[in-house]
Formats: sequence, structure tokens, C-alpha cells
Amino acid sequence: MIKNDIIFNTIDNGIIILDKNLNVLAWNYWLEIRTHITQNEILNKNICEKFSYINEKKLKRKIKTVFVTNNPSYYNVDPHKFLIDIKTNSIIDNMFDSMQQDITIVPYDIEKQQVCLYIYDKTSLYTTNSKLESLNEKLRDLSNRDPLTHAYNRRYFSEFSEKMLSLSKRNNQDVCLCILDIDKFKNINDNYGHSIGDKVIILLAQKLEEYVRVSDVVSRWGGEEFVIFLFNTCLENAQNIAEKIRKNVENLTVDTNTGKLEFTISMGVSQYDDKKDANNIENTLKRADDAMYAAKENGRNQVIIDR
Amino acid sequence: MMNNLSLNEDEKDCLQELMNISYGSATAAIAEIIEKFATLNIPKIQAVTLDEFKDYFKNKLEHSHTHYVTNQLINGTLNGETMFIIDEESTHNLGKEFLFEEDDSNKNEICEDDLKDVILEISNIITSTTLSKFAELIDASITFSPPCIKVLHSIEEFNDSYIDEYNHIIIISTDIKFVDQNIKGELLILSKDESIVYMKEALNRVLDEL
Repeated sequence: MIKNDIIFNTIDNGIIILDKNLNVLAWNYWLEIRTHITQNEILNKNICEKFSYINEKKLKRKIKTVFVTNNPSYYNVDPHKFLIDIKTNSIIDNMFDSMQQDITIVPYDIEKQQVCLYIYDKTSLYTTNSKLESLNEKLRDLSNRDPLTHAYNRRYFSEFSEKMLSLSKRNNQDVCLCILDIDKFKNINDNYGHSIGDKVIILLAQKLEEYVRVSDVVSRWGGEEFVIFLFNTCLENAQNIAEKIRKNVENLTVDTNTGKLEFTISMGVSQYDDKKDANNIENTLKRADDAMYAAKENGRNQVIIDR
Repeated sequence: MMNNLSLNEDEKDCLQELMNISYGSATAAIAEIIEKFATLNIPKIQAVTLDEFKDYFKNKLEHSHTHYVTNQLINGTLNGETMFIIDEESTHNLGKEFLFEEDDSNKNEICEDDLKDVILEISNIITSTTLSKFAELIDASITFSPPCIKVLHSIEEFNDSYIDEYNHIIIISTDIKFVDQNIKGELLILSKDESIVYMKEALNRVLDEL
């Protein structure tokens, strides 16, 4: 038993020595004051019986790895979080009730089949990392979205569509694009003001998200124009979806000082085609765009399919 | 600079031989730890630059979108880092072999945390046994830091996560065969210039002794 060793009792991490049957042979002062369990109380007791939340099978395997390889074995904070549950009591804002720990298991006496476990407190680092990760996630999402409507932006759409096209081709799935534009939007802005124009765009973006599947992606292409990526959808189904969207939009209204404002959209639909588009989704989009202009020229509030 | 530090054909052959020997010890360790019969094929070894590796990895990502990547620092005479790269399908297969007994009925229910733990563990076993043996063969002293894990979906994520500090990368492609499934993984050894100088000298010493 190690009792009065200065390094053992002053080092700023936990030290446990275990035999192959998981009995505790040493438990340092760092652990005594944090767990309120003295070395004498835990000596020669099985660590998994004392702390029933420890996964015995896993710990045994980690220890066996040390004996077989004669090298260290590790429990990381991610995914284990902790080996010994020690409640945190820091005044610094942290996200965890229990200390987040990294554990290194090293050979102590191979002949006697004993290992040493070092427990490191990583709570503060893990708190910072988690906050950073969550902020990065928000930042990534913000950079992918249009600030007015919160729909995906053009840059995101370009990246996403390339990846999804490659995946769809591999899985032999059809891909269709819909491009749509609010009819006579300039008149809305001129007659009702830009704030009402913005309300129309915001409402349309919200409703488009509702009208399509979760797997489809709606993006604001610019101004009053939106593009929808329809994943695993043939041209016939894309036409039905586009018609449904057009009809639903006919029933939307925005409140203005002079009453309810109705509006319509024109849509163009195309399906990716290897021969026509040569692995470039921009070409598919161009064909959908041409179809949408044909819908405009043909009287607006309609869907035209590129065949 | 790069030419002087590149491995010539003889050195590459010698490295392949030493890695074969080193890697053999990992086979025995894995089989013993999980108490299941496993064999490792003779690994395919390539010495590449970082750019060549990125092209290689980009190609892998196109075939399988999700890869688990662990990395671990090596300190000592050989200075650098190791990476273990494994695709999603092999990760799940490995999880089943590591976490369940033959007759377990809930083999398909593996949570992400458990999967990461298994990958960390197996990469640590393969890395530490292979590198320790290799270090012994070329008379080098090394220690390892704890491994970290990331799940990558694109080469951009790889570029964002790892710095371009290494010019020399040794790719060891492995294929661990269990009774009913194969697990394909890749162990990478990323070396700093001074380590390559040491490694070249050590390889030439071995070649001279032949």
C-alpha cells in the first residue's frame, strides 16, 4: 500500500492501483478528499462493487489491453465522461454536474498483474469545447442561411446539390429541381412598400418548407426567387409537388393596411439528366429557369416542365 | 529538401518488411483481448506526401461518406502522429465483434458513444503494438498521448480539423478478418522531417546488415 508518498498524495490528479480482479491496492489523497472515501475504507475492495455504475466488462477489457500490449490504455472523456462520479463544485459556469475525466491505465507491475489508473479532471476544457462546438454549429448554420427568411442560401444550395447529386447517381435515384418566382413582385413593393414585400417573401419561405419533405432543400436564390431540390423524385412526382405548391400559394394572404394581399408564383421544373447536364447540376437549374420564364411568358401562375 | 527525405525503393522495401513484422504483433494482441479468432492480412504499405494522401482520402470519402478518424501523438526519437481511419460499415462490424457475444440478440443496437469507444480502443491497440515493435526494431524510443476521435464526412472537414504539418505519411492499409466479416482500416504514420532522417538512417543500417 502506498500511504505517505509525497508525489502520490500531492499530485493534482487521481491515482488508483488495481489488481487483475479489480481490487483497489492504492487510492490517493486527491481521490480521498473528492469522494469522501478514505484509502483505508476502499482498500482491497472491488472497485466495481464500490461504484456499481462502472462498466465492469469494459474496465476489464481496458486492463487486459494493458497486460497484453504492455502499453497504456485510455478512457477518453468522450465518450465515457467519468470513471468515478465526482460532483463539480466550481463557481465557474460549467455544464456538468459531474467532473469530466480522462483516464489513462498504465502497467504498474506486469508480473503481479497490477495496473495504475490516472484520473485527470477535464471539466473546464470540456465545458469550453462544448460551448465552442455549439457556437460553431450556430455560426455554420447562420452562414448557410439567408438572414431575412432563414431559408438556405445560394452558397449552401450549391454545395449541397453537388453532394446530393453524386449520392443520388450512386444510388440510381432521380433528382428534380423546381425554381419559382413571385409574380409581379415589383408591383407589390411599389404599391404596398418594401416591408410588405419582405413579409410576402418570408411567408412564402416558411410555407415552402411546410409543403416539401424534410429531405428536400428549399433555398432563397435571390430577391423573390427560390429553388427547391427534390431528392429521389421523378419528373412526374416533381410536377405534382410543384402544382400542389402553386395551388397552396394561391390561398396565402398577407395582412396590409388596405386588406389582405394575395399573390401567385410561376414555376419551372427539370430533372437531372446525364446526357443533357453532363454531371453539372447548374445545367439542370438552367433548364428549370428557362421553363419558369416560359411560365411567366405564358401568363404566370403556372408550372412548366422541361422535358 | 523533399528529394533528400523521400524513401528510395530499397528503403521502402525494408520499411514494408519491418512494418509487416510490427503489424503481426497487433494481430495477436487483438485476438487475445477480444478472445475471438482474428487474422490480419499482410498490410499494403505506401509512403506518400500530404497532398497525395488528401487525394487518396478524398477518393475514399466518395465511396463511403462517413469515416471515423482517431489520432494520437507520438513523442520520442520518432516524432509525429498516427491516425487510424475506418469507414462506417467496418466501424459497425467492429462494434459487433467487440461489444457482443455470439448469441447476443441486440447486435444492431450500438450507440454512437460505444462505437467511438471501440474505435479508440482498437486504434490504440494497433498503434501502440505496431509502433512499439517498429521502434524496437529500429532502436528508437517512443511514448504515446491519449487518442482523440472525429467523425468526418468530407475532405473539407479533414482540412478544417488537421493541420498541414507533415510532409511524410506512411499508409498501412489493413484488413482484419473475423470469422464472418472483414474490417478494413488504415493506420497512418505521419512523421516530421527529423524523424524521417532518423528512420532513413535506421532503415539503411538494417539494409547494411542484410
